[in-house]
Amino acid sequence: MTDTLEKFQQAIVEGDPDESAALAEAIVNDAGATPDEIFEQLSLAMDTVGDRYQTGEYFIPEMLRSADAVEQAMAVLEPYLFAHNHDQGGVVVMGTVKGDIHNIGKNIIISALKAAGYQVHDLGVNVSTDKFIKAVRETSADMLLLSAFTTSTKPALLDILARLKDEGLRDEVKVISGGASHSEEFAREVGVDGFATDVKSTLAICKQMMEG
Amino acid sequence: MTPRERFLAVLAGEAPDMVPIVPVIDGYFAPKVIGRANDECYQDGACLSDALLGCLERFGYDGVLAEMGLGDSPEVLGCRVEIEGNDVPLVVETLVGGREDLERIPVPDPWADGKMEPVKRLVSEAGDEHVVLGSVRSPFEYAATVRGLMEFMTDFYRDPDFVHDLIAATRPATLALGKALVEAGVDALVVKDSFASSSMISPDHYSEFAFPSEADIIGELAQEAPVILHICRNSMPILPQMARTGAAVLELDGPVGLKEAREAIGPGIVIKGNIDAVTVMEKGSAGDVEAAVRAALEAEKAGRRFILSTGDSIPLPTPVENVSALVDNGRKYGRY
Repeated sequence: MTDTLEKFQQAIVEGDPDESAALAEAIVNDAGATPDEIFEQLSLAMDTVGDRYQTGEYFIPEMLRSADAVEQAMAVLEPYLFAHNHDQGGVVVMGTVKGDIHNIGKNIIISALKAAGYQVHDLGVNVSTDKFIKAVRETSADMLLLSAFTTSTKPALLDILARLKDEGLRDEVKVISGGASHSEEFAREVGVDGFATDVKSTLAICKQMMEG
Repeated sequence: MTPRERFLAVLAGEAPDMVPIVPVIDGYFAPKVIGRANDECYQDGACLSDALLGCLERFGYDGVLAEMGLGDSPEVLGCRVEIEGNDVPLVVETLVGGREDLERIPVPDPWADGKMEPVKRLVSEAGDEHVVLGSVRSPFEYAATVRGLMEFMTDFYRDPDFVHDLIAATRPATLALGKALVEAGVDALVVKDSFASSSMISPDHYSEFAFPSEADIIGELAQEAPVILHICRNSMPILPQMARTGAAVLELDGPVGLKEAREAIGPGIVIKGNIDAVTVMEKGSAGDVEAAVRAALEAEKAGRRFILSTGDSIPLPTPVENVSALVDNGRKYGRY
C-alpha cells in the first residue's frame, strides 16, 4: 500500500490526472489506507507542487495540472473517504473573499472536506461580505472558511468579521481563514478563530473546531 | 521639442532633448485624480477621457494611454463584467465553455456604441502636443479572457490544440481593435500580453502559445503604427523572443533588470519602463520613487533608446505625490 500511496503522491506532483485516478482506484480496492494517510499524501504532494512553484520550476499551468490530478482522484476517493469519516459532519460555508479569484486551493479543500463528511456550501470566488453573511444565516453554518491567497485580502477579511459581529452571528459560527500566505500572526491580526495553509491543516483545524 | 516630438524621436532612433516620460496611467488610477470612482468612468467614456486628460495636465508627462473603457473592456468580446466602486472589474461570465463555443467569439465593431469617442477626444485635445497611445489586448490574452484564465491554463496540458484554436479565434478582435485605434489617430499601439509573463507561464509555454501569436499580430499591426509590447512582472527569460516579435518598444516591469534586459535584446529596440507600480509607486515613498527613477536612468539614459514609465498600471492606492515624484525626478535627471 505504501508503494501505491507514494506513486499516488507522485502522480499529483507530476500532474497526471489519468494516473492519479487509476491509483485512487487501487487505493479504494485495496482498502488498506486510512483517510489520514491519504490526506497526508495529498498534502505532501501539494507542498511539493508549491515548492516547485516557489523555486520557478513550476508555473501556474503546472499547478493547475496538479489540481486537475487531485480533482480526478478525489472523484474516485470521495465515497471511500466519506465511508470512513462520516462521524465528523458539520455544515461549512466556503468561498474566496472579495478581490481574490484564486480557486485552486479552495476547490481542493472543498473536495477534501466533502470526503471527510462535511456538508459544504461553495460560494465561489470574489465573494462579497453580503453573500457570506446571507449563506451563514441561511445554512446555520458551523464553520465559515474564508479562502484568501494573498495577505492583500486583509481588509476583506476584516469586513466579513465586523459584519458577522454586527449581525449577531459571530458567536454562532467558527471562522477559519486559509491560504498559502497565512500565518499565526496574520490570523491573530484579522481575528479569526483559526487558520490553515494546506489540506492537512484545514482538516485538523475543522475537526478541532467541531470537537471544541 | 514638444512631448510628442520627444517620444517620436526616440522611436525614430533620433536624439531627444530629454528622456520621454509616459507612465501607465489608466482607468485604475486616473478617475480618483478628478474625484470620480472607477465604476463611473468604466461605463462613461467622457468621464474616462476627463480623468486621463486631468492626469496629463496635473502631472505633466509626455503622453496619454487611450483605452476603450477600463482594462480594454472584455465586454467587447461578449464577457459579462462587473465593477463596483473602485474595485477592479471582474469577468463574471466567460464565453467559451468548450470547443463548441469557438464560433460564439465575435469580431467586435470598435466603432459601435461610441466606444471610440474617448480615444478620438484624447487625440483631438492632447494629440497635437502629446503622444497618444492606443491599448489593445493580444489574442493570447483575449483567449484567456473568453475562456477564463484558470480553464485556459489548464487547457495547456489537457488540450493544447484547443489553446491554439482559441488564440486563432480571438486574433480578428485584436486586429480590428488595433486598426480602429490607429484610424482614430493614436501614434502607437500597446499590445498587452500580461498572461504571457514568466511570472505566470513557463518560457516553453510562451514559445509554444504566446510568442507565435505575438509575432503574427505585431507583424500585421506594425504596418499601421509602431507597437509597444507589454508583458508585466518577470519577462527576463523570454526577452530575446520578445525582441523578435517586431515590436518597436518593449514595456518592461520592475522585476526585470534594465542592464541585463539591454544585453538580452541588443541596442536597437526601445525599452519603456520599469518603475515597479506596486513596490515603488504604491507602497514606496517619494524618496523611493526618486531612487528608482535615478537607477533606471543611469542604466538606460545614455543609450537614448529609453522611455521612462511604470512597468504596469499604477494602482488606485498610489499616492499622487509619488506620481509627481516620478515625473519631477524624470525631468530632473533625464535631460541630455
